[in-house]
Amino acid sequence: MSQLITRRPRLSRRFFLKGLTLAQAPVIVGLPPLVSMFNSTGTAYAAEVNPAKKAVPFERRFVLWFNGNGIPERYWIPDQTGPDYDTTACLTPLARLRDQVHVLSGLDNSAVGNSAGDGHSTSMSALMTCTHYTGRSPGGPSVDQIVARKLAAETRFRSLQIGVSQESFGSAIHKNMSWAGPDRPLPPEEIPHRLFDRLFGAKDQGWVNRKRSILDAVYQDANLLRKGLPQEDAQRLDEHLSSIRDLERAITSLPPEYREVAKPDEDFDMKDWPRIAKIQSDLLAYALATRQTRVASYMLTKCQGLARFPWLGHDEARHHDYTHADGKAPGEDGPVGQRIMRDICRWHVEEFAYLVAKLKSIPEGDGTLLDHTCLVFVHEHAEANVHKNSGVIALVAGSKDRLAHGRHTRMMGTIGDLYRTLADGALDAGLGSEAFPTSSRRLTELLI
Amino acid sequence: MYGDAIMVCARISHWPGLCLLFVAGALAASAQQPLSFSDKLYPALQKAGCRMCHNPEGVASPTRLRFPEEGASTERVEAFGKSLAELVNRQNPDDSILLKKPTNRIKHSGGERIRKGGADEALLKEWIGYLATLSGPELEQALQYKQREAAGSGDAPQVVLRRLTHQQYNNTVRNLLGEPTDPANQFPPEDYVNGFKNQYQSQSLSPIQAEAYSLAAERVAANAFRRGDSRHLIPCAFGGASDAACRLKFIETFGRRAFRRPLEPGEVARYDALLKAEDDFLKGAQTVIEAILQSPSFLFWMEQTPNPKWKPYAAASRLAYFLWDTMPDEPLLDAASRGELNTPEDIERVARRMLDDPRAKQGLDDFVSQWLRFDRALTAARDHRFFPLFNHDVAAAMTEEARHFIGDLVWNDRSFMGAFTANYGFVNSNLAALYKVPTPAHEYDRVDFPAEQERSGLLGQALFLTLTSKLEDTAPTSRGLFVREQFLCQHVPPPPPGVDTNLPVLDQARPMTNRERLAVHTTDKTCAGCHHLIDPIGFGLEKFDAIGMYREKQKLLFYPEYHGAGAEKVKPKEILLEMDTTGQVAGIADSQFTNARQLGQLLARTPQCQECIVKQVFRYMTGRQDARADVPVIRRALEDFRASGFHYKELVVSLVKQWESKPAERSVNVAANHPSP
Repeated sequence: MSQLITRRPRLSRRFFLKGLTLAQAPVIVGLPPLVSMFNSTGTAYAAEVNPAKKAVPFERRFVLWFNGNGIPERYWIPDQTGPDYDTTACLTPLARLRDQVHVLSGLDNSAVGNSAGDGHSTSMSALMTCTHYTGRSPGGPSVDQIVARKLAAETRFRSLQIGVSQESFGSAIHKNMSWAGPDRPLPPEEIPHRLFDRLFGAKDQGWVNRKRSILDAVYQDANLLRKGLPQEDAQRLDEHLSSIRDLERAITSLPPEYREVAKPDEDFDMKDWPRIAKIQSDLLAYALATRQTRVASYMLTKCQGLARFPWLGHDEARHHDYTHADGKAPGEDGPVGQRIMRDICRWHVEEFAYLVAKLKSIPEGDGTLLDHTCLVFVHEHAEANVHKNSGVIALVAGSKDRLAHGRHTRMMGTIGDLYRTLADGALDAGLGSEAFPTSSRRLTELLI
Repeated sequence: MYGDAIMVCARISHWPGLCLLFVAGALAASAQQPLSFSDKLYPALQKAGCRMCHNPEGVASPTRLRFPEEGASTERVEAFGKSLAELVNRQNPDDSILLKKPTNRIKHSGGERIRKGGADEALLKEWIGYLATLSGPELEQALQYKQREAAGSGDAPQVVLRRLTHQQYNNTVRNLLGEPTDPANQFPPEDYVNGFKNQYQSQSLSPIQAEAYSLAAERVAANAFRRGDSRHLIPCAFGGASDAACRLKFIETFGRRAFRRPLEPGEVARYDALLKAEDDFLKGAQTVIEAILQSPSFLFWMEQTPNPKWKPYAAASRLAYFLWDTMPDEPLLDAASRGELNTPEDIERVARRMLDDPRAKQGLDDFVSQWLRFDRALTAARDHRFFPLFNHDVAAAMTEEARHFIGDLVWNDRSFMGAFTANYGFVNSNLAALYKVPTPAHEYDRVDFPAEQERSGLLGQALFLTLTSKLEDTAPTSRGLFVREQFLCQHVPPPPPGVDTNLPVLDQARPMTNRERLAVHTTDKTCAGCHHLIDPIGFGLEKFDAIGMYREKQKLLFYPEYHGAGAEKVKPKEILLEMDTTGQVAGIADSQFTNARQLGQLLARTPQCQECIVKQVFRYMTGRQDARADVPVIRRALEDFRASGFHYKELVVSLVKQWESKPAERSVNVAANHPSP
């Protein structure tokens, strides 16, 4: 890796620190850290590259991973708790990463309550934001955004939203897992080459200057238009302004050169979800490694998703259809739909395992990128066909200096408790319980 | 005391309703109100879920009980509480419908909502007892609540800026720049809110959308001058970028079309600076276009404007984006600049002319494709073993038929209620096979349906029948819901969380029709309340299968064993079942039916359905849900619609006239003139 960097003469991390937006806010985009940047033990940045002349630990990063439609509990949840649990059918892809992952069950998605929506929308809203569904959107920001506000003030992207399968019923709550607030979905980037362009698309200085002057004009236009607008419209225009600022920040902080990252093809089957999932995971890993963001959400399949699974041999119906495939053609060991759901959920875990392994393969200091990243994998429901919201499962990985792994635990707690424990216990976000309305305690079982 | 009340009235004279409340409140105090309705009984009724159905959009909206919306003021809630006197038997309070319905002592579609003998019933009884003692004048006042509600009041949400929908973006850059590539197809897809993709609440701007706009602007601007000025965007002979006169002419001309209003001097100067920063004129012009396409003045069109100078231009944008789904053209902007869009009469004249323009078809198609949820048909899946005829092309043909069908009603000035009664469709060869009619000479020619199939407008066309079905069979619940929500504008609450929505497993020993399987919906108390309102509508349409083919009997296929990917080769056992297609639209009198024809006739003559057409167009037009303040507008439009013999164009004209002429002086909460950090 150091060799890679030496091909960039005179470009130091400090160079990127100097990148400024029009608003004069400093922007930090990282290079893959130079070995010479670390302190002697490799556990933190060395003082000499840090403006404050003090060694600082590696950034802690957060990935929230979502899968749609729920699970077949019998094929997912291990019978035993503790370190000696038997790997279930759905969890087999994690076998080689067993000591890197904590399998959780029994969590209560308690913000479902009596809100105005069907099983899927209310569950999604509660799972992502710990708030009730309003009929159009969740009632608050999603956990990744709550964390991003604390962690990501100075990165090139405040947060990234990454997606894979696009097939859904089409409502905002189905299509988006990240929310800046009520009625403000943050759609995921689902097209690999576009994600690449955002992260690593190289542009020359002339292009950057031109874009800056254009955005400057746009910014002034917006200010003119804003005069005298009613509150609600002014707010929408402010969102526009803040999006322009984000864009400006992303544009004016030149993407780092990172030659290991190849641009994905544009001409392959755009419904080849396993392939796309892996490309998106690669790009996410590189984005984290190059410090372009500290927070990301990853939406593998949609809420109440309608993906098809030809590579699993299940292409007659769509994902959600299988959850209610109520046994018209009974199989040997239970309804066919259950076994198909088993295969689908095993694939969910397989793609998650791919990302975990990828992060583990990227060295950082004397450890790996995985050590400095906290990942949480959640599912829309517990048992899928009854839209069950109690006893939901999660997988937690990474942050090995803080989090306990290699076991299955039946939790007594809520989704809010889980997020709060990770945000404060593994990410040092210092959010407390107020940020998570359904939290009443920290899940100490998760922590070392 | 009475004098006090009148003084209050005078101060708040813009809302006479409030005045009455004060009076009523004063008198009620003397009649010793036993408990606070808003503090005690109302929360209990909320908890019982009464409002889920008894609200203006609810399935029980035709009944006499309609709750105010969530978050209503305490005054309104109290007035509502007194208005319940209408449902009280003053001679024998225990015999009041207000007691007997929610406790299910007499048949209540919503089942037993308040437990007999429980604490909530005691509260209710206490309140009923009080209402029974109201004096004559008190009662009269209490009952005026309904008239006040019906008159509409309060402020409608005022929306000033409407973001271009993706379709509008495509249409606009095509008309503005001759750009043929539909760049918005690359944007993050839009979400459905309130049943449409153009609702202002769904138009927040995420960073990824801003990036998509930026990228599209860059590409579209680069395309503009790829072959010199072959698209004739520069209105003057130009030399280098130093040609100030031509620079300004270009910016003013192009900017006016792009912003749909004349540019302010500051804007002209800003774009001029961008242009002259380049040496080459066209390169500079390209930068200007790229910037303008990212400006909020381009991306948002003005529905209203606080700037009086721009008001006629806002009118032009409203008309163009509603009627044409694209930007105002030159004559329309000229009409705005000449002050010819100022009165309702002006608007009517211009709107009629615009409806005769071919672009109006584009506007109608956009509405229809969302109202009838084309997307759900286009993404539908069917088990090929059961429906070998179905594929994506067939689904696309179904949407094409709906487009032709509604277009025929509208542009040939037929009654729009024919959408539910017409015994014909517009078919290509795929659909001809599906309907079992001869293939017409030309694609999507009109054909009459075979009489014995009793197809009836949209209810008998494949689009609706397909998009409301499931993988292997029809879904009567889904069909009932679609009729309630899209055609009656009644919202049915979703099942409570945690409910097992699976139906009994089918087996050969005990084959069941859909109706029989769905019986669990009405035997289980939790489910019955709502499903009683939904499922029977679908039962009456069971003669059409999951892709809209006619069937006399329900066919069940049983495969002996699951064989994974090769299952289609296994020969299934086939069982045919007789079907009972008696259906009903609960809440509408005399609404029993047994086929689509009868349901179609029923809907076409039902006031809720007629009003619903008006509401759907209103929601699409204004980009928002109708509010209480919109009641008079909708009522007026319904009267005009009905008087015209349900001509869609007349409905549209009525709505745009009222849209334009609504008082713009309404107080708005004006934001500070500086951007937030």
